[in-house]
Amino acid sequence: MVVGKQMGLFDKLAGWLGLKKGVNVLCLGLDNSGKTTIINQLKPSNAQAQDIVPTIGFSIEKFKTSSLSFTVFDMSGQGRYRNLWEHYYKEGQAIIFVIDSADKLRMVVAKEELDTLLNHPDIKHRRIPILFFANKMDVRDALSSVKVSQLLCLENIKDKPWHICATDALKGEGLQEGVDWLQDQIKTMRM
Amino acid sequence: MSSMEPSGDGGKWLDAHYDPVAGLYTFSSCVDLADLSGDGESRLVLGDLGSGSSGMKLKVYRGTALMSESTLLDLPAGLVAFFMDLHEPRIPAVAVASGPCIYVYKNMRPYYKFTLPGLEVNTLEQDVWQQVREGQIDPLTLKEMLESIRKKADTPLSVRSLRFLSLEPDEMEEFVQLQKQQPIKRQTVITCIGTLKKSTADEDGVSCLVIGTECSDVYILDPEAFIILTKMSLPAAPTMMDVTGQYDVEFRITVACRNGNIYILRRESDKPKYCVELSSHPVGLVRVGKNMVVGCTDESLQGFTQKGKKLWRVELPAPITTMASMDLPTKGFQAVLLGLANCEVHLYRDKNLLSTIKTPDVVSSICFGRYGREDGTLIMTTKGGGLMVKILKRTAAFEDRDNAPGPPLAQSIRLNVPKKTKLYVDQTLRERENGLAMHRAFQMDLSRLRLAAAKAYVKALESSLTPMSSSLTEPLKMNAVVQGLGPSFKLTLNVQNTAACRPVMNLAISFLYDEGLYRMKNPYMRIPLLVPGLIYPVETFVECTSDKGISDIIKVFVLHEGRSSPLLTAHINMPISEGLMLN
Ligand SMILES: Nc1nc2c(ncn2[C@@H]2O[C@H](COP(=O)(O)OP(=O)(O)OP(=O)(O)O)[C@@H](O)[C@H]2O)c(=O)[nH]1
Ligand SMILES: [Mg+2]
Repeated sequence: MVVGKQMGLFDKLAGWLGLKKGVNVLCLGLDNSGKTTIINQLKPSNAQAQDIVPTIGFSIEKFKTSSLSFTVFDMSGQGRYRNLWEHYYKEGQAIIFVIDSADKLRMVVAKEELDTLLNHPDIKHRRIPILFFANKMDVRDALSSVKVSQLLCLENIKDKPWHICATDALKGEGLQEGVDWLQDQIKTMRM
Repeated sequence: MSSMEPSGDGGKWLDAHYDPVAGLYTFSSCVDLADLSGDGESRLVLGDLGSGSSGMKLKVYRGTALMSESTLLDLPAGLVAFFMDLHEPRIPAVAVASGPCIYVYKNMRPYYKFTLPGLEVNTLEQDVWQQVREGQIDPLTLKEMLESIRKKADTPLSVRSLRFLSLEPDEMEEFVQLQKQQPIKRQTVITCIGTLKKSTADEDGVSCLVIGTECSDVYILDPEAFIILTKMSLPAAPTMMDVTGQYDVEFRITVACRNGNIYILRRESDKPKYCVELSSHPVGLVRVGKNMVVGCTDESLQGFTQKGKKLWRVELPAPITTMASMDLPTKGFQAVLLGLANCEVHLYRDKNLLSTIKTPDVVSSICFGRYGREDGTLIMTTKGGGLMVKILKRTAAFEDRDNAPGPPLAQSIRLNVPKKTKLYVDQTLRERENGLAMHRAFQMDLSRLRLAAAKAYVKALESSLTPMSSSLTEPLKMNAVVQGLGPSFKLTLNVQNTAACRPVMNLAISFLYDEGLYRMKNPYMRIPLLVPGLIYPVETFVECTSDKGISDIIKVFVLHEGRSSPLLTAHINMPISEGLMLN
């Protein structure tokens, strides 16, 4: 704990000195999975939006953790906008992939889009960290994060660090754990 | 979520869900997709026929789960979701046609029941039942009288009388006691149902209900007041229906009827405007753009224009079990889905087969549209009661010609045929005028040709070096080679047994020649056993005794011991001896 506090102080110092490094994150996933809601939760409370509407095209959002500042490309998940995703793969340094754990029917569609992403030439050979949010865990009959990772065959991802957390974006539950993991991954990559 | 074997559809569909024991028994006419909660997520509504006599239910699915079910009183003949008013939020109602009624559900709760107007009852029938009520006649007399009415009358009997006629004598009394006080009613039943936009073509525009009945009428109902706006008549009972257009502007109702014809009704007339007579009964009717596609019991799929002109026909590998349209407006894609009895679902655009989906069971209903949040969802129920959901891949593209049977592309390319020349025209005229003479000349030439061919054949046989034996027991072949300049010649006869496996024995060769010209060492030789297939060379020497420079024929006979007629004869044309006599 003491160490943690010291770290925090150091990070704050770094922040004041303008040493915080920017990280580009792509937020992907099917429409209605909760991407915008999640990013909204991660923003400082005074910057949070009240109404969340389906994203058109994409939007760029920023949020900070203790030591990093993130620029998030919140992509629209609607079918007709999904072909936009790949244009941002090159810039992305990390991926947040959001799944609606209550939408069992479209789990195959989420898997299909994930597989397409993983096989894309701009992603395939990079050790880019992927954070999965199995969102809407509050919904009755939602699948567990273990079941989601089984259905998406996440164990087959061998050459990239990945992590899955069950989340409730409406209450903000589970998000911090995921973001901490992402921050650690990016820091170890930079060392 | 169950896994399925690869379906051999070229990877165009994602297997989203398969529940082989969903216990759904229904047809395409009783399945629809609609956003029943107004939350942007489409639900699946089905009229389940249960066992056919019980367990009929109205079921609603959300995603992979059954969300609600309610009991239906009668077998559903058709089900449609439609907007009946302009109230907000825009939530469609569901209309279930069964028997003579339409049950309308709003928010999945019973909302309204519409009953078709009763039909005229036969007055004689009414009188007879009146007499029964007054106790004047007994059930057996009733039966006799009803039967005679049934034979003669133009107006058919009521269901009650028909039921009565089918009863055993011991059941009659009870039936009569139970029924005699009720007034007689004659009702028709609904056979098919569709929707017709009232005045706008908007997705969520208010729609009228269009129903077809067993007594060959088509009614258009006002969606709010449930009054009959229009009644139209057909020559036969309708079984399937497609409706397009708007009631207030212009519409077109295409109806497949039980007499095997398809009729097209238009706004301006209460009688069919066009008729298509099919060679076999229709089992599916789908409109694609302005054309209609009809599946028939003779395992064919046929395309027609909206005026009934036949465009094409394709043969199918198995009988059709069900048909539905596949309409994907975002991709501008329209096609027809066919469920076949060989556990396949075929996708046709016009007469081209675009893709084949293999299913684990025969499909009994198909519905394509937006389900949940996915626009391209294919929902199928199977004969065994299973529910199957497939989602079209975002990247799927259908090639018009991939493995499509039918005429090759080249066939439709116009050939550059040159203009008719003067010479061509003259020749044609000449042929027309002298046809008879030309034909005779041709026949004459043909006969001559045949004669010449026959002569040449005979000659070849006579002098041939490869004669054949026609005997079935000793099929033989022989050719002769003459070597030498003379006066001494070597004669080699190559004999072959052409039988498949039987050897030939006891053969001999003998020669017949002009003894003044030739001398032969041994004009009679025995031939060894002939093994089938092998060629046996038999050699002998011939000497020409004349120096006058003439030659002759030597005849060769292959003989069978103990038989007088030769098996084979050959004539050898001997060459002229060019050598000098030595003695
Ligand atoms: N119950 C529940 N609802 C959630 C949760 N997260 C998001 N939602 C709801 O899901 C709906 C869609 O959320 P969005 O954040 O707009 O989804 P999105 O992934 O950004 O969708 P697109 O922008 O269309 O790609 C909204 O109505 C949210 O309120 C959650 O954890 N639980
Ligand atoms: Mg969004």
